[in-house]
Amino acid sequence: MKTGILAFGLSAATVMAGPALADKLDDIIASGKLRCAVVLDFPPMGSRDADNNPVGFDVDYCNDLAAALGVTAEIVETTFPERIPALMSGNVDVAVASTSDTLERAKTVGFSIPYYAFENAVVTSEKAGLTGWEDMKGKTVGATAGTYEAIWLEGKVKEWGEGEFRPYQNQADVFLALSQGQLDATVSTMEVAEANVKSGNFPGISIADKAPMVPDYVALITLREEYGLINYMDLFINQQVRTGRYAELYKKWVGDGEPANLSIPGVYR
Amino acid sequence: MFNYNFRWNQAFNSLPQMLEGALVTIEIAVLSMMIGITVAITLTVFRLSGNRFLSAIATTWVEIARNTPALFQIYMVHFGLGGFGIHLSPYMSLLIGIAFNNAGYLAENFRGALKAIPDTQTRAARSLGMSSGQAFTNVVMPQMLRIAFLPMTNQMVWAILMTSLGAVVAMNTDLYGVTSELNARSFRTFELFAIAAVIFYLLTKAITLSARLLAARLFRY
Repeated sequence: MKTGILAFGLSAATVMAGPALADKLDDIIASGKLRCAVVLDFPPMGSRDADNNPVGFDVDYCNDLAAALGVTAEIVETTFPERIPALMSGNVDVAVASTSDTLERAKTVGFSIPYYAFENAVVTSEKAGLTGWEDMKGKTVGATAGTYEAIWLEGKVKEWGEGEFRPYQNQADVFLALSQGQLDATVSTMEVAEANVKSGNFPGISIADKAPMVPDYVALITLREEYGLINYMDLFINQQVRTGRYAELYKKWVGDGEPANLSIPGVYR
Repeated sequence: MFNYNFRWNQAFNSLPQMLEGALVTIEIAVLSMMIGITVAITLTVFRLSGNRFLSAIATTWVEIARNTPALFQIYMVHFGLGGFGIHLSPYMSLLIGIAFNNAGYLAENFRGALKAIPDTQTRAARSLGMSSGQAFTNVVMPQMLRIAFLPMTNQMVWAILMTSLGAVVAMNTDLYGVTSELNARSFRTFELFAIAAVIFYLLTKAITLSARLLAARLFRY
């Protein structure tokens, strides 16, 4: 009898508490599926292989996160500007899409701790022949719309008060314009710059210099109020570094060398 | 499920920048219409000329402009010509792309309008001693523009909406360009684009209303 009441009470509690407390983390586990927004024209972070399957650092990272949650991963291709609509409309649960963690954006979405950090490179066309980043002053420069480096570069052009800034819709158009000589220089992450210079798709471009920006820390994002999921992602990123998986993925997609340090000396978080 | 809390204050702070963008949008639409109408009249004359070479030019232009996406046309002006070393700024690429599209559609509108004007008018004008050029400019063309006036306002609305395609050629000073840059900064996607949509709506509404008033004044019998 007593156990009966207890069982009833417990099940009643579950029924009542269940829907009220279920957050995104519970929803993902319950649905058995983690949907990640990934940008797939951003090698080596995201791209498609010869068979048109999504591959890259971000794709593997999403798969790892899904494995940790015990669910299957589903990669949803988005462009940089589409990441937020995809999240907000509930088409994806998280975005593993090299999202720079600016304070302005944190007013709108919820950021995890950084999972990667980019160095940015200045890429120039042979015709323009820039040798250092200062040479960009007064030139026609461009970058991929909606990215951290585009925001930085546009700010620089405004600060210099001369030259022109052009935000192209995707990385491929930026390098096409650069290769045609429509742009004199662009700023893009070192990894992307190297991959594109090496690919040979865009003749006449080369890396001129490092861009003098603070490292571009990128984080996973989800809805601002999903603390449960954000907490989980923080711990997950910590574990990725702790277990050496971060270094392993770096080696696989970026190459030899040290992956960037994700902690900042002298401050928490 | 739509999981989003609308917060408007951040977006409303950007309103002045967006209105500046709207001015650029109007500027491009107006200029592209002016170029488009001029070219379309030229194309119409080419078609009427009876010269096979000239009418072939006009037909090719109209066929390409009407049967390919405007997005493609604008992209080709920028990157297609760019491949041949002709480098146009995003502003010029967008303006030329839209003007190209406008000219094609308007030329077709004018052709339709011409069909509605009886041949006898040209003959009457010629019998009064006008040259064929005079007959066209003094008798036929004014009527043609009158008949094609409402289709022309349609095209004007279309031109305003087409400015948003400038994004593919890195245009960032028009209404759409400004909005998407603001979005990259703050991620307030829905608020910003909702405001942009309202501005677009008001612009096109203003165009159609003023065109109707203008038509009422101009075409009083």
